Amino acid sequence: MTNGNATALACRDISVNYGVVAALADVSVDFAEGMIHAVVGQNGAGKTTFARVAAGIVHPDKGTVEIGGKPVPVGNVGRARSAGIEIVHQSFALPPSFTVAEAMEFGAEGRGALYSRRDLERRWTRHLDALGVRVKPRERIRDLPVETQQAVEIARALVTDAKVLILDEPTAVLSPSGIDNLFERLKVMQANGVTIILILHKIREVLSIADTVTVLRGGKLVEGPTLTTEIDAPRLAASIIGTTADGLSDTDRDALVGAAEEDDDGTETAAASVAAGPAILDMRGISTRPDPEGPALVDVALRVGRGEIVGIAGVEGNGQRTLVRALSHLADITAGTVELSGIEVTHQPLSDRRANGLRVIPFERNSEGLSLSSTLWENWAARSLLRDGVLRLISPAKIRKACSAALKVWDVRFSTPNQPAGSLSGGNAQKLILAREVDEDATLIIAAQPTRGLDVGATAFVWRSLREARARGCGILLISSDLDELFDISDRVVVMLGGRVNGEFSRPYHLGEVGAAMTGADR
Amino acid sequence: MDDTIIAILRSGTPLIYVTLAGVLAQRSGIWHLGLEGLMIIGACAAVLGVVQSGSILVGLGIGIVLCVLASALLWFVIEKLRANPIIAGLGLTGLGLGGTDLAVQAIYGSQASVNAPFGLPRLGPAFGQYGVLSILVVLMPVFVIAVWVLTRRTRWGLQLAASGEHPFAARSVGVNPARMRLIALCLGGVLCALGGAELSMGSLQIFAYGMTAGRGFMAFAAVIFGGGNPLGATGAAFFFAIVGALGIRAQLLFGERVPPDFLLALPYIATVIGVWISGKLRGGAKAAASFGELKDY
Repeated sequence: MTNGNATALACRDISVNYGVVAALADVSVDFAEGMIHAVVGQNGAGKTTFARVAAGIVHPDKGTVEIGGKPVPVGNVGRARSAGIEIVHQSFALPPSFTVAEAMEFGAEGRGALYSRRDLERRWTRHLDALGVRVKPRERIRDLPVETQQAVEIARALVTDAKVLILDEPTAVLSPSGIDNLFERLKVMQANGVTIILILHKIREVLSIADTVTVLRGGKLVEGPTLTTEIDAPRLAASIIGTTADGLSDTDRDALVGAAEEDDDGTETAAASVAAGPAILDMRGISTRPDPEGPALVDVALRVGRGEIVGIAGVEGNGQRTLVRALSHLADITAGTVELSGIEVTHQPLSDRRANGLRVIPFERNSEGLSLSSTLWENWAARSLLRDGVLRLISPAKIRKACSAALKVWDVRFSTPNQPAGSLSGGNAQKLILAREVDEDATLIIAAQPTRGLDVGATAFVWRSLREARARGCGILLISSDLDELFDISDRVVVMLGGRVNGEFSRPYHLGEVGAAMTGADR
Repeated sequence: MDDTIIAILRSGTPLIYVTLAGVLAQRSGIWHLGLEGLMIIGACAAVLGVVQSGSILVGLGIGIVLCVLASALLWFVIEKLRANPIIAGLGLTGLGLGGTDLAVQAIYGSQASVNAPFGLPRLGPAFGQYGVLSILVVLMPVFVIAVWVLTRRTRWGLQLAASGEHPFAARSVGVNPARMRLIALCLGGVLCALGGAELSMGSLQIFAYGMTAGRGFMAFAAVIFGGGNPLGATGAAFFFAIVGALGIRAQLLFGERVPPDFLLALPYIATVIGVWISGKLRGGAKAAASFGELKDY
């Protein structure tokens, strides 16, 4: 346990229930002053809820919070902030249309009722300079690259005299070198006396930065705060995953919690590559018009063979979404050709491409993948209904029956095929999409962030499904921002940067090399 | 020329007050389609208040109180009952149009209009031709500047914008987006009451059923045109007023050759074209996609 130091943040018996689900159950934890603390756990373990309770954003059903030894009323952001606690959210919380200076100002306290643009910029330039954030105060948040956006967000959190800074999964959107920069910055802040609480889910990161680690599992405290010098990766992995992960291979287990040592990567042969056969997907020199969803593709060449999983790595917003849109005939292709199993489909509509075996597991399962207000059977049958033509008569009873059978095979937990898709949990919703997209006629499956936000069991299920599809001879394009996931299941990894392909890697993967390609540091 | 300027100021001023109310609501994240209803409540209350009490201040005061109450009701329905803001706003417009008619019928029987003994204070003969302009016309630029400063040059304005654009961000710094919306709507209620009063008591001294004639919707169009900037929205409202004044001019000149209905419809046509252009300029489809739904936080 931590020793001697005064307590910066103390939480007592915190319980939060969302409906009948307990997000946190009687969590009590003390964080010592002046240290970097990590809070880890799988998705759904309650980490974010815990951070939000501490910051006053979520009102707990039970429990108390003390900051610097003084009790603070729970569920009150204003009081929590004046007591010195600030939070940086995982998906950033700055209005996209604001300029950097405005983003600093809107959460500031104290003087400054009226301002001119110039005053505002001068005031905050100094603050940003002091934190080493290089950005023009006049730039808009939406135009900033993610790494700068995060730095601005941290600067925003430090406009007041913060004593405790909580960062919710700050590394999820960063490249490996971005993570190094972030950790440098946090160490400087720690030296200045700020207590830092990091919500993380990679063991590698925990062990490299944190002084103590606290593990949450299923809303309960299972470990900590324990000094990181007194715990090792295997024990931490066991503590995070618990006993629910039976049947996982060691490499999958390491990938899930980010525990793999870089040097071991070369020896991972569990997922032996199938010999790449003839091309399922052949993109040559593809360029697109600029797209509101991300940068345009520039001269992208990409080949996916039979029985091959090709991973797409890259910091978010470097053309991955445009790539999926181009393959789905949603982006305007200005140059180049796309071939599916040898048939050119560059200007074919999506329905023709689907007839050629293209399947898409989209980025946003709730808005692009499913119609949440439609029933399970409607969502499930959408593919075949479109294929058979809209004027053909259908028998809902038959579809419902087939749907029930299919969803059972895919292990979707549901009560009736008539329930709306919105009533499914994230993991079950993703399985419903898999049940629709991964069929026997599929030849190329595009899986965009298929495991984001899923718990251990569902993540392992998705990986297994993709591997089974590969074994059947499907080509799979896996887009992920989780390098551990890509390294674990991809036969090759292609890095995208600014809409271009910036490097291709095969096993054994080296985090440093792939990371350098993600930021362009190799040039 | 002076006539035309006076005509533009007279028809533009009520529109601008109401437009400012729409801008405040839009900054807070609500597309306000109740402007028409609030405006007619303000117009009706001013006339009826003056007729009943003999005091212009009482007339304005009643208008302001009623419009603020109606705005608070709109907020309650949107924020607490989670109604769709577009539908709720249209409901408020219906309430205003129907309620004012009912009030007139209840008090004066089946009368189509109510005349007031006097109107808003005017500038007076010292200003020559411009002496016919009311005090609210003179104050209009003050309100425009005040709303601009409040929304674009204060921390409060940034917090209001954050409440509209990214309520979770606002909440994360301790701002209550629901309260910001209430304040924005109620301030808008005051502005709508003034705009309505200028309409019925500024140049005329009469309340007639349905006399707002879609000006609230025109103001809404000006809000879209202005893209959240009070100055841009004011400019758009002015533009609509200019087209209206030219329409009346044109009626005098070409009334025999062109149907007068067409000339009277000019401001509305200009509104449609204006909204179309602003949609082209800043991606209307995207705005329409998020249209109406209150963002969650």
